[in-house]
Amino acid sequence: MSSATEDTLTIPEHVPRELVCEFDIWAEISAAGVCAHQRAARFHDELPPIFYVPKLGYLPGAWVPQKAEDLRRILRDTQTFSSQNTMPFAAMLGEHWKLIPLELDPPEHTKYRALINGLLSPNKVTAIEGAIRQHAGDLIDAFAANKRCNFNQEFADQFPTLIFLRLMGWPETEAPRFVKWTHTLVKSQDMEEVVGAVVQIKNYLMQKIHDSRANPVDDFTGYLLNSEVDGQSLTDDELLGYCFLVFIGGLDTVASSLGFHFMHLALHPEHQADLRANPDKIPIAVEELLRAYSIVNMRRIVTCDVEIRGVQMKAGDIVLISTELGNTDPEVFEDPCEVNFDRGDGNAPHMAFSFGAHRCVGSHLARRELRIALELWLQKVPIFRLAEDCNPVMRAAGVFGMDELIFEWD
Amino acid sequence: MKVVIDRNACAGHARCHELAPELFVLDDDGYIATDGFSVTAEAEELALRSARACPEQAIAIVSDDSNI
Repeated sequence: MSSATEDTLTIPEHVPRELVCEFDIWAEISAAGVCAHQRAARFHDELPPIFYVPKLGYLPGAWVPQKAEDLRRILRDTQTFSSQNTMPFAAMLGEHWKLIPLELDPPEHTKYRALINGLLSPNKVTAIEGAIRQHAGDLIDAFAANKRCNFNQEFADQFPTLIFLRLMGWPETEAPRFVKWTHTLVKSQDMEEVVGAVVQIKNYLMQKIHDSRANPVDDFTGYLLNSEVDGQSLTDDELLGYCFLVFIGGLDTVASSLGFHFMHLALHPEHQADLRANPDKIPIAVEELLRAYSIVNMRRIVTCDVEIRGVQMKAGDIVLISTELGNTDPEVFEDPCEVNFDRGDGNAPHMAFSFGAHRCVGSHLARRELRIALELWLQKVPIFRLAEDCNPVMRAAGVFGMDELIFEWD
Repeated sequence: MKVVIDRNACAGHARCHELAPELFVLDDDGYIATDGFSVTAEAEELALRSARACPEQAIAIVSDDSNI
């Protein structure tokens, strides 16, 4: 575990002392438990609009812009704020493949992104809505009569994994090991374990790519094998980069979002009652829950000296893109901590799926999964609450998550 | 009233299409497929809401008597 030690916490000279945040923001957010997002939102009052953290978990120090306007500007300026080398997985193995298209910048990014946009368009998602509904319904039916469920184990981890396997054209029986790998990758604080999971995932994906090459099939890897960029077939590293990205992008993010959304409803029976009485509000409720419980924290690397809101950033600096801070900016959202399903769908847009060229390619699928999960839960399960013996554990990191969620109902 | 779309700014969120699928038509990749259009009086409110919902601020509303 390469945790940052005192002597590595050198703050660059160009960072003004008054902009340095003295506490570990992720530890602070984690300690707030079920109030994690409300805790993060108070940073807007307590800390400068752009502040500096000497470390982020086991990651090095970074600038943390809080204002939605600044985050939008940074995400749009892909020349100054690069996505290259922002993810640790290949480096853990001493290798150089990139997550594609996540770790590419335009104009390269545009070509690689174009290959997969059509696979995850709103129309494509609509085409598999029946299957999404079936998987969600089957999972809920399995525990609805128990009057109790371990939410992550029995639902949130399973649901997106089953959809992912279907989209990839891989057997459902693979679900348990995918869930296990995802858990290790996201939750383990033991670097050896994480590296072990990265190796296993990589080997699995490379095997699938080789199988698909030997026996061409009409699935995701088959599609990529038949694709070209600039007239060239994709290399093994590129194929791996795409597959690894959809693996980490599609599994943990939806599972974690489900956890926060359902935790909110368990703590707010009045919101459950509202949606049970007005199911047509569910799509807007999903947007509001995505805003209020944003989970993704990305990074960008500064390529040339730049000033944002009077703050001087230098080439090589790292910038954290914290969607939960952008989405609780009080200049954009009135009473940002308030979950209000009546904000309306034509109001200020949130950045849960980011802004600009790197907008989450799976956003349409994620929204549909979240919407269907809510619809079916509210149909099949009566008013539910956190179990008395349940002690949810908040985990702030690159992707926020809530563990140990146990729900009960009468 | 006219809707003018900056297609280069479209990032494929498809929020406009979600609110008004008949007005905001998407291409096969899920990105906006039009540079703009005129809006009937009945659809003005919907077009305004859709413009506000665009995370990229790529949708502008121009009034018919505007010469800009």
